[in-house]
Amino acid sequence: MGRERWSAVGLALLALGYLLAARRYPLDTLATPGPGVVPLLAGVALLAVAIWLCVTSGRVGATRISNRPPTARAELADPATTIRAGLADPATTKPAMLAVALVLYAALLPRLGFIVSSFALIVLAARLMGARGWWRPAALALGVAGAGYWLFARWLGVPLP
Amino acid sequence: MSELFVALTPANLLACFVGTVLGTIVGVLPGLGPAGAMALVLPLTIKLGPTAGLIMLAGIYYGAMYGGSTTSILVNVPGEAASVVTTIDGYRLARKGRAGAALAVAAIASFVAGTFSVVALQLAAPLVARAALAFGPAEYFAFALLGLVLLANLTGGSRAKSLAMVLVGLMLSTVGMDPLGGTVRFTFDLAGAQAGLSFIAVTTGLFGVAEVLASMAEPLAAAAVARVKFRELYPSREELRRSVPPMLRGTVLGFLVGLVPGPAATIASFVSYGVEKKVSKHRAELGTGAIEGVAGPEAANNAAAGGGMIPLLSLGLPFTPSTAVLLSGMLLMSVTPGPFLLRDHPGVFWGVIGSFYVGNVMLLLLNLPLVGLFARVATIPQQYLMPAVLVLCAVAAYSDNNNIFDVWVMTAAGIAGWAMRALDWSPAPLVLGLVLGPVLERSLLQALTIARGEVSGLWASGPALVMLAAALITFVVPGLAALKGHAS
Repeated sequence: MGRERWSAVGLALLALGYLLAARRYPLDTLATPGPGVVPLLAGVALLAVAIWLCVTSGRVGATRISNRPPTARAELADPATTIRAGLADPATTKPAMLAVALVLYAALLPRLGFIVSSFALIVLAARLMGARGWWRPAALALGVAGAGYWLFARWLGVPLP
Repeated sequence: MSELFVALTPANLLACFVGTVLGTIVGVLPGLGPAGAMALVLPLTIKLGPTAGLIMLAGIYYGAMYGGSTTSILVNVPGEAASVVTTIDGYRLARKGRAGAALAVAAIASFVAGTFSVVALQLAAPLVARAALAFGPAEYFAFALLGLVLLANLTGGSRAKSLAMVLVGLMLSTVGMDPLGGTVRFTFDLAGAQAGLSFIAVTTGLFGVAEVLASMAEPLAAAAVARVKFRELYPSREELRRSVPPMLRGTVLGFLVGLVPGPAATIASFVSYGVEKKVSKHRAELGTGAIEGVAGPEAANNAAAGGGMIPLLSLGLPFTPSTAVLLSGMLLMSVTPGPFLLRDHPGVFWGVIGSFYVGNVMLLLLNLPLVGLFARVATIPQQYLMPAVLVLCAVAAYSDNNNIFDVWVMTAAGIAGWAMRALDWSPAPLVLGLVLGPVLERSLLQALTIARGEVSGLWASGPALVMLAAALITFVVPGLAALKGHAS
């Protein structure tokens, strides 16, 4: 199954989950429509579009796959190969590592405070993006975290954690 | 009208200057676009107050259109999607040793188109606003629906995928309190979600964090920038003469395209280039370094930016991510754009329009002598720039409601936006679905209530009928064509 179809399946599942969650909101009548009307319409519409995408992407995907060389076809057909290739690809691993760092940042921000957690995030992000050594990323992190705190917390009065 | 001069107060001039400089830098930098940058500085602009704050945001918006051309011409790297087409002839002109002339023509074309679009905006926006006073919920529903359908058609790529993204945005807009009854929906007992998903958090995630993650996947090498001396910034008489017709065509085309929902500035630049390839006297030279290939598209993308302000200022409906951020900024400053903006906040309305005039002059004066300096911004290594952007995104998201929940929303939107880019799904329709969702829901429910449950009440008035018919035709005709294509 190609990426397009996987995306469409994901959207269909999202629509179904949303419709399930929307069941608790009343529809009432057309003259006094309730808070469940628009969620119902939006969920059903997304489900319909996802099914349409699933059906049509299959056709497009089949055409595309049949035009590829046999080895490429075999790779596309084997999801384990695709996942292994993705995990080994720096184009996927580096952003994935930064995504994990961002989740940690959001979790640690209220506990460690803005300056410490932002310092750590900037150093880590700069190193992941290819900055050499520690001094430059650390100086950048200190400057941005310090200036950011002064600008937003002190000058603009944003109560940063 | 005398409020136009509000833009000339020292505070507003400074806001305009900072906005245009920031916008030019954002335009020069590949990656971070005007919507993301405007969302980043939103906390700063709130401190400035409505008029100066909105002038700064607007300055970033049209400054980015100016700056986008600089790197397109000098290094063949478009700073903005709207400047992609400028690389074709702009970079070839630079390689012929005419970089200075191309930059000057791009700046002049941007100035001419920007000024024209402001004059048209100044004349049209109050008229549209007055006409919109007669709009009821049914008309607003029809207009928002037409806008979203057009958007799905024009965003580029698959129409069904754009429509799906609009619907996901609409679904996200239902999180929090429903616009009429006050029922809290889809919050899953998270206190931070009760006010709805922060638009700023979603925008900074989709356009800021996702951009940083994407830049890690495909790191851009620091660009080598050719030096352009000030005395080289003079186009020859022949180049100027040849630039005028495409500049004028691009201006009118761009303004008209700007009124239509979608990535108007990008579409306008491509349409202008296409028109030049058909009608220009020198069409055979296009693609080899013709000045028409710079003048037309650069005029078009600036005029489109002005055109896009009309639905925002006069109807309160934004049709591009950048104008959506501007709307969000207005709402945060307790200014509601729409038909009543001119009546309730004339200073803001005319101040922003006046700042467009001032901004255009400022950009022309800044861009020509400082072009080398702006181009050097593109040489800042990404590994030092992007981590700083990440933290600014987090601050912008947090400061919307001073709530850590919004940082989580930004993180989730950023990761989702990165995945969407990797899978070739555009985030722009999602953002507009999110911002237009409450308008659509409120107007639909109000229209049904007014019509006492009669669905025909949605198309009972002439304007609503025309807009719904247009939406239906726009939706059905390409769908039928696609079905026919699949069948054959």
